[in-house]
Amino acid sequence: MSSAEGTEAAADAAPPADEEEAAPRDDLREGLLESIRAELGDAVVGSHIRPGDDLWVRVTNESWRTAGTVVRDKLGCTYFDFLSVIDWLPSPFGRDMDSQEDLTVNPVEAKAAVPMTWGYAGGETRLQVFARIYNIELGHGVTLKVDVADDDPTIDTWVPLFAGANWHEREAWEMFGVTFTGHPHLINMYLPGDFEGNPMRKDFPLLARRVKPWPGIVDVEPMPGGGADEEGEGE
Amino acid sequence: MPAPLTKLLNTSRKYSMWVYQWGLACCAIEMGAAFASPRYDVMRLGVIPFPSSPRQADFVVISGTVTDKMAPAIVRLYQQMPDPKYVISMGSCANCGGPYWDSYSVTKGVDQLIPVDVYVPGCPPRPEALLEGILLLQEKIQNEDMGARWRGDPIVVS
Repeated sequence: MSSAEGTEAAADAAPPADEEEAAPRDDLREGLLESIRAELGDAVVGSHIRPGDDLWVRVTNESWRTAGTVVRDKLGCTYFDFLSVIDWLPSPFGRDMDSQEDLTVNPVEAKAAVPMTWGYAGGETRLQVFARIYNIELGHGVTLKVDVADDDPTIDTWVPLFAGANWHEREAWEMFGVTFTGHPHLINMYLPGDFEGNPMRKDFPLLARRVKPWPGIVDVEPMPGGGADEEGEGE
Repeated sequence: MPAPLTKLLNTSRKYSMWVYQWGLACCAIEMGAAFASPRYDVMRLGVIPFPSSPRQADFVVISGTVTDKMAPAIVRLYQQMPDPKYVISMGSCANCGGPYWDSYSVTKGVDQLIPVDVYVPGCPPRPEALLEGILLLQEKIQNEDMGARWRGDPIVVS
């Protein structure tokens, strides 16, 4: 999940382009977006089309289940690809988790706090649930996104729509702490039963790095052929 | 126990070691290739890699990344092995956590759970390294005083 989330987050990092300015118009996806808007109305709060490639739609929290039903039944997207969560909080430990050690090993200025930014189709909350469902026959998919409240991240379950969402939602629940209302069996899947915390959240500290600094910074090995450091172990 | 008898007993034991394979990650593939392939052929060392349960095994190779979720199962099946029992920890992950030393879910070395006799370093170890680990374990068995071991306290892990 982490890799899927990482690539998605990287792809999403580009600022949302204005839809009108998108040079080649994608009639297929414009049509899909129109039919979603026709069914959901004001529940669609954001969207983005990458012409010839993909469609993002952000809906309100209350219409999450309805949106899934509409896209599955009206648009024929019957294949559930994945469901996951993005944590848009800038890491309090620095972008690469090394900054804590940078501060102690080298006298480096602490990095300024970065404002939170959102990807395609925008966002308002720190945690966003997103899912991709796909029309296998016609070969197009829709990525649905939804904001969940910061203080009480809760969302309707999709298990009645897609049985395959069961494990995805359990993983999102244990890794990010998003509660899926109506999920039949919301227990830990990968983590031990008594695990505390949500390790995929950006503010989850890796305790091992507090105990022992990241060795990449403190043990720098001499490169072969690096001159003065040649004598020693390698000979 | 008379020394010659101990030597005979230990020689017999070290050339008939049933290994119980605990494959957890990519090292398991390497272990399978090292144990099963005719090129490396562990059976010439007296290692028999197919007990049907830990209750018939003499030693276990822990190969791969031990997670906190898997830890109770490792302890439980180690307890089911009959004494005398030995453990080879294969690869960086089982030795100390390896590349996952800072993960939220990885146990930092299987020796936090069960006593380890031989550590085989590598990521993954070469088959030759695993075979050397077996030779070191055989050396340990050869020099062991079984009488002392039987008189001593049993190994209990919790």
